[in-house]
Parts: sequence; C-alpha cells; structure tokens
Amino acid sequence: MGAPATKLAVAGTMILETRGLMKTYGGVAALQGVDFALKTGELHCIIGPNGAGKSTFFKLLMGIERPSAGQIVFKGRDITRLQAHERARLGITVKFQSMRVYQDLPVYHNLFIPLRRHHRAREIPAVVERLLADVHLSGTGEEYVRNLSHGQQQWLAIAMAVAAEPEVLLLDEPTAGMSAEETTATARIVKRLNGQGTSIIVIEHDMAFIRDLDSMTSVLHYGALFAQGAFKDIEASVEVQRIYLGTL
Amino acid sequence: MANAATRLDRWLGPLNGPQTMGRGVPFWLCFIAAVVVLAIAPNFLSRYDIINFSNFLISGLLALSLGLIWGYCGILSLGQASFFGLGGYAYGVVAMNLLRAHGNTDVAFVAGILIPVAFAAVIGAILFYARLRGVYVAILMLVISLVIGTFLRQTADPSYTIGAAYLGGMNGLRPTSPDDPLLPSLIFGFGDWVAEFDGRSVSFYHLVLAIVVAVYLGLRCVVNSTYGFLLVGVREEPERTETFGYDVRLIQLSVFCLAAAIAGLSGVLYTAWGTYIHPDGFGVAQNILVVIWVAVGGRKDLLAALLGALVLNWISLRLASEGEFALLVMGAILVGVMLLAPEGLAIAIGNRLGRLFGHGAKVGQPAVRTEEG
Amino acid sequence: MDTFALIFGYAYQYFDNVGFLVLSASGLIIIFGMMGVINMAHGELMMIGAYITAFSYYAGVPAPIAVIFAGVGAGLVGMVLERLVIRYFYKQLLSSLVVTWGLSLMFSQGFLLIFGPSILNLPTPFGGFPISEQTFGSYRLVLFGCALALVAGIWALFTFTRFGTQARATMEDPAMADALGINTRQVYSLTFGLGCALGGIAGGLFAMTATISPFFGVNYTPLAFITVVIGGGANAITGLIASALALAGVQTVVVNAFNQYVGYISMMAAAFLILLALPRGISDYLERRKLRAVRASRPSPHG
Repeated sequence: MGAPATKLAVAGTMILETRGLMKTYGGVAALQGVDFALKTGELHCIIGPNGAGKSTFFKLLMGIERPSAGQIVFKGRDITRLQAHERARLGITVKFQSMRVYQDLPVYHNLFIPLRRHHRAREIPAVVERLLADVHLSGTGEEYVRNLSHGQQQWLAIAMAVAAEPEVLLLDEPTAGMSAEETTATARIVKRLNGQGTSIIVIEHDMAFIRDLDSMTSVLHYGALFAQGAFKDIEASVEVQRIYLGTL
Repeated sequence: MANAATRLDRWLGPLNGPQTMGRGVPFWLCFIAAVVVLAIAPNFLSRYDIINFSNFLISGLLALSLGLIWGYCGILSLGQASFFGLGGYAYGVVAMNLLRAHGNTDVAFVAGILIPVAFAAVIGAILFYARLRGVYVAILMLVISLVIGTFLRQTADPSYTIGAAYLGGMNGLRPTSPDDPLLPSLIFGFGDWVAEFDGRSVSFYHLVLAIVVAVYLGLRCVVNSTYGFLLVGVREEPERTETFGYDVRLIQLSVFCLAAAIAGLSGVLYTAWGTYIHPDGFGVAQNILVVIWVAVGGRKDLLAALLGALVLNWISLRLASEGEFALLVMGAILVGVMLLAPEGLAIAIGNRLGRLFGHGAKVGQPAVRTEEG
Repeated sequence: MDTFALIFGYAYQYFDNVGFLVLSASGLIIIFGMMGVINMAHGELMMIGAYITAFSYYAGVPAPIAVIFAGVGAGLVGMVLERLVIRYFYKQLLSSLVVTWGLSLMFSQGFLLIFGPSILNLPTPFGGFPISEQTFGSYRLVLFGCALALVAGIWALFTFTRFGTQARATMEDPAMADALGINTRQVYSLTFGLGCALGGIAGGLFAMTATISPFFGVNYTPLAFITVVIGGGANAITGLIASALALAGVQTVVVNAFNQYVGYISMMAAAFLILLALPRGISDYLERRKLRAVRASRPSPHG
C-alpha cells in the first residue's frame, strides 16, 4: 500500500540492488537515497510524475552517470564504479527514453552490433530474422533506419535491447508514441522475455501498459521511493493518485 | 542482377558490404580497369606526369587515413598531417642513421609507421579516455600539429642533431656533416636481395600504386567487418554502443592509431619520393588540404576520399601553372561542396550511379538529424 | 626601486598577455557560446580588420576611428558570411568547423592574391614610459584597457539591451524564442556579425604592434582557440576572463623562466590539463558552482 519503500529482502535472491543511491545536479537532488531491489526473474515497473528521477535512476544503474553517493550491487558484486560497457558485459542493458537507434545503418546491422557480442557472425542472420519477426519488422533488414517510422524505430530499439541478451533489462518508456495495439504487443513481448528468465525494470507513464504487465510497481516521487506494491494496490492508493494529480 | 551481386558478394567475401560504395559487377570491372590503366599509364605519360601521379597517390593515402576516422568513426582531426610529418621525419632520421650499416631503409620504413602510431596512442589515450568533445579533439589535433611545426622551425641551430641527421629548421631534414648520407629513397633489402625505388622512377610509382590499392582494399575489409560496424556505431550513438558492452574509448583509440599508421606510411612515401621533409608538413596548409580532399570527395566512403585527393591534387597542379590561386580555389571548392553536396561530390555521384544500376543509394545519405560535438 | 621595477615588469607582461588573449578570443567565444559554432575564419577577420585599419590610417583617418572602421567592416563581412554560408551549419559543430576553415583559407589566399605577400606596418602610438632603467610601451596598457572596455561592453550589451535579452532567449531555447516572436534568424546573424566585429577591432588594435600580411590571422588563431576551448560555452564572458587570466599566468611565468617557445608550449599543455579536469571548460564549472550556491541558499521544495 502506500507504505514507504519496503525493507530489502535477503541478498542472494536479488539480482540488482541499490543502497542509498543519490544523485545531485548542481545542488539539486534528482535522487535522494533510493534503496531498491530487483529479484532475480522479477518484472518491476517504476512510475512517477515527470522529474521524479526515473531516467536518472536508469542512467545510474547503467553507469552512464556516476551517483553522488550510494551503492549499486549486481549479483552480490559492487558495480558502482564500473563503466557502462563493463556493466553491459556483466549482463545489464538499457533501452533509452530517446530511442538511440543507429540512424545511418541498416536495420540488420542495428541488431548485428548487440548480437555480435554473443554470437558468431554466421549465426546472426537467423537470430535477426527471429527478433524482427517478434517486433513486427520482418523483411525490413535492408532498410536504413532513417527510413522507418517512429513506431518502427521504437520497436527496433526494443529489439536491440533484447538482442543484447541481458540478464537485467532496463526499459525506459518502451511504448512512447505507440498505438494501443502496439502497446499491447509490447506488453506481450516484455512478459514473454520475463517468462524466459530476464529480470526487467520498466519505466512507464502509460497506465494501461502497466496494468497489462500487472507486476510489482514502485512509485518514485521527488527522487525517493514513495510506495511499492502490486500494481492494483498502487493504483488504488490515495497518496499515489494525489501525486499524479499534483496536490501533495 | 541481384543474383549475380549475391554471388559476387560471396566471392569477394569481406571486401564487399554496405559500408563501402560500389559492390556490383560493374563497379569491380571499372575498378580493375582503372587500376590497369593507372598501372600502364607510364607507357603513354611523361616522366614528369608520373612523378606527380606518385605524389597524388601518396596524398590519397593521407586522405584514406582521415576518411577512416572522420567518415566512419566520427573523429575529425584537423591535424592529421602531424602523423604524416612525423612519419616523414622518423623515416628520414632513421634512414640517414642506419643506411651505412644496413644498406637499406627497412627499419626506417617501419619506424616511419610505428612512431606516428606510438604518438597517436599517447595523444589518443589522453583525448579519448578523457572523453573530450569532438570539436575539442579536432582543434587540439590542429594545435598539436602546429606546435610540432613551430618546434621544428626553430631547430636551425646546429645542436639539433640526431646522430647523422640534422633537423635543420626551416630548411628541413639534412645530413649532420658532409660525410653523412643524404636522405635516401626507399631501399628494401632482404638478405642479398636489394630493391631500390628512386622517387622519380616508374618503379616507385608502381610501388606506391600497389600500396594504395592494397591499403584501400584492406580498409574495405576493415570497415565491412564487425569492427567497421562498431566504428559507425560509435559515430552514430556512442552511448548506445557502450551499453551493448563495447568500450567506445578503446574503439576510438584503436582506429585513431590505425589511421596514424596510414598517415605515417604516407609521410614515409612522401619523404622517400622527394628525399626531403620540412616543417611545412605540419602547417595549416597541409592540414587543411587533407580535410578538403576528404570533405569534397566524401568522408563516408573510402574510395570517395581517395578520389577527392587524386582529383583535387590534379586540379591544384593545373592551377599552379596559371598562378598562385590553387589554395584559394581549394577553399572555394570546399565551401561550395559543403553547401551544395554536404556528403561529398564522389558520394553524390556514386549514389546517382548506384541508382542507375539499381542498387539504390547506400552510403552517406544525409540523415535529418544533428551531429553531436 | 629595482624590486618595484621587477614586479611592475611581471605585472605589465601579465596584463599584456591577458589583454592579448581577451582581445583575440572575445569574438570567437561569443559566437561559440551563443551559436555553438567555432569560427575557424576568426583570425582572417582579424586580418581584414588589420588591413582596414592600415588603409584607413594611411588615408588620413585617425587611428581610433580606423579601428572602429575595422570593427564595422569585419562585422559586415561576418553578417554576409552568416547569410550565405554559416546559417546552413548551425548545430553541426564539426561541419561548421570545416566550412569556416575553408572560408579562412579563401580569405588569406584571396588577400595574398590581391595585396601580395608584402607586409604593412603601422607606427605604435603613445610611446613609452620609464620605470627604473626599463622602458615600457604605453600602448600595451591601452590594449589591456580596450580589452576591459570590450568585455564590459559585451556584458552590458547582453544584459541591458533588447538585443541581449533576445540573444540570451534564443541561446536558451531557439524554438521557444521563435514562438515568442523573436526573429531568431536575425539574432543569429547579428550575433555572428558582432563576433566578427570584435575580431575586426582586435585585428585593428593589434595592427599597430604587429606586421600586417595575409597570414596575420595565423598568429592569433591557435591561442584564441585555446582560450575559447578552455573557457567553454556555458558562459562566454566569465569563461573568457577566467581562461585568459589562467593562461596568461602560465605564459608569463614560463616565458620568463625559459623562452617564448616553451611559454607557447606550456600554454598548450596547461590548456590540455585544464580540459582533462574540466572537459566542458571553466565556465561550465563556474556556472555549476554558482547554481549550487544559489540552490543551497534556497530551502528545498520538499524538505
């Protein structure tokens, strides 16, 4: 319910944890001491109003930015000081809020780059085929990304994150700019990935999408974890509704 | 047509890929024909032309080196000629010191490539590991080149000697004493086998042509390999590439060193060609010319950059006989091309031709986006 | 007395160096800070300013007016360039670098073609004054004064005038400024012209201490770039002042300890080190500190 962030569960079942994670920009606290834990194989949504620190949280988890204080632990190992590429090698990857696809490369090679870390070059065409089919982009392999529609690029961005074959996948607004059907399809993909064992954190604004995922949900507010619980409880919480209506 | 292309792709293997313009049968036929024409050119051109052509091809190498880092990896260096100059000086100094003992310039040739690489490794490590913005890298490279040039200019004092080589200030590298050997042309030796390539000779021209073709084809393999796609990945979305587990700084540093090797090779050949090297090699004019060749030809394709260098050098030489306005025209061509065909002339033409032969545009279509510094 | 002369000598050199850096970099840093374009033709605009000053002076125009002519002339050239070329390269840092470099080559080579490689000289005005046994040129102090005046003028322009407000709004958010009815194209054009005019004035002022040739600009460009690069684009004026103060300090000390060349190299090295520590330049660092101080003095919105 509307309780403050729950206490950390026993380590070992947790794949990713943060302890007292803090980030300030020029004196402004974007995150103020977030204790968060992701269970192995868990699907977890993070919601919160604009400027609550959600994207900052992902940047810190990924290693794009350094925390001002606090710790990030992946599978019991302190990764706070690791570079982004080192974290990626351990099995964490992200889909950024802005899509960050390779505009000047064909779709095929957008997937080739993440896939090449785990696959031999000659296996890749088959994997690409499968990934593209998953995100309804079959047959676009030769297309240059700049010729794709916005929605298609969003799909591709998701497929690229999946292609990195991470253990922990951070999805920052995967459905931004998508139609209702596309959103539903994305939810299917996320749930399937999770079913296959990937631990996933999703940042979203789209409540329908989160309802679809029906997972553990945390609310980030003013850079702190405000509430945590099953989505239906969170949705019912008066305080959370107040945050979104801005009357706190 | 498509079938033939696929068969050709398999046949040419790593040489063909979407990262280079020209993949079809017509392209490769033209390419072979062009190389053959260049190879037999000495039969119907004057000695003077051949000497100049050697120089053009040497410039082409320098253009390839900048095209590789700027076009593919997004690293603009306004001081690419510093590696060229360093290669030239390294070759000269080592050659003059070892010529007597070895009877060849093998070590000098290698030194002329490796010393620029070592320099690039140090500078690049600082620039890229500090994650400096692209503009700053571009300008700092120019400043570094100018600083080296300024240093060499004030080495006229006789104390600036390295063994048998005297740096010589504005006059360029020369022997320390009259007994020391002059700056030599390339002499390759292997046991008893010795081959000398006088810079003014047809054999030197053929050597340079072979090197340029080899470097071009080699780079085609590089840019169409996984590494080549990573280069473009770093150019397009460095952060994204990093979050796939690739060390972007290492990729930048490695390609920077590779480019320095090619620029150094170009400097070696240039020094051996004219048997002289002087501080102007580090100056603004030399540095800006490289950028002009690559920008006008097209930075996002190796052949375009190479052609840019060859054609513009040829135009410069023509203009030089008319008066002192070759550089002015080069500047005007650069500005004009940047305005009218920002991706470069050879790429614009290549894309036209590609469409004509039904391949569609492949390389360097202007994307509607802004570049990051 | 001798100690005083020594200290005065150092101070004189230091402020001479500061003035030199501020004057040569002021136009460049405004264009970089406001428009994100590094104008590689800046040295050539200084060269144009120097020529205009020289020709006006020899035509009988008093030196101060000749320098103003230089500013106006270079500013007009800049606005024409902006209309014809630069505006197609906004937000494309690397491309704008290359295209302005092409322009610089056209200017230096064009002037070489027209005026030939021969050099012009102007007399250095104001003579000198003796301290102890040394004589110091008064004009260097005038240059430093001009540098101060220009910086103050730029600050006033951007702080108090309508143009300044519009320019800052445009820099903050061009789309928003556009929506507010600011003619952003005109703002860009004027800003670029202003930067070039400052270059022209600097060129005109330096014309009285240096020989004027088509390659006049080459001597100033690298140092101006270094000043701009370590100043950073976050706040043009504080960046300019801070980096000029820092670099001139390094230069003064090292030149006295060794020689001109080592002084030059040490400035490059210092710039390198500063950039490694502050990759976005000194002004970015200062801005962030200021922000932190302001925020800290305010109660946090959510206690």
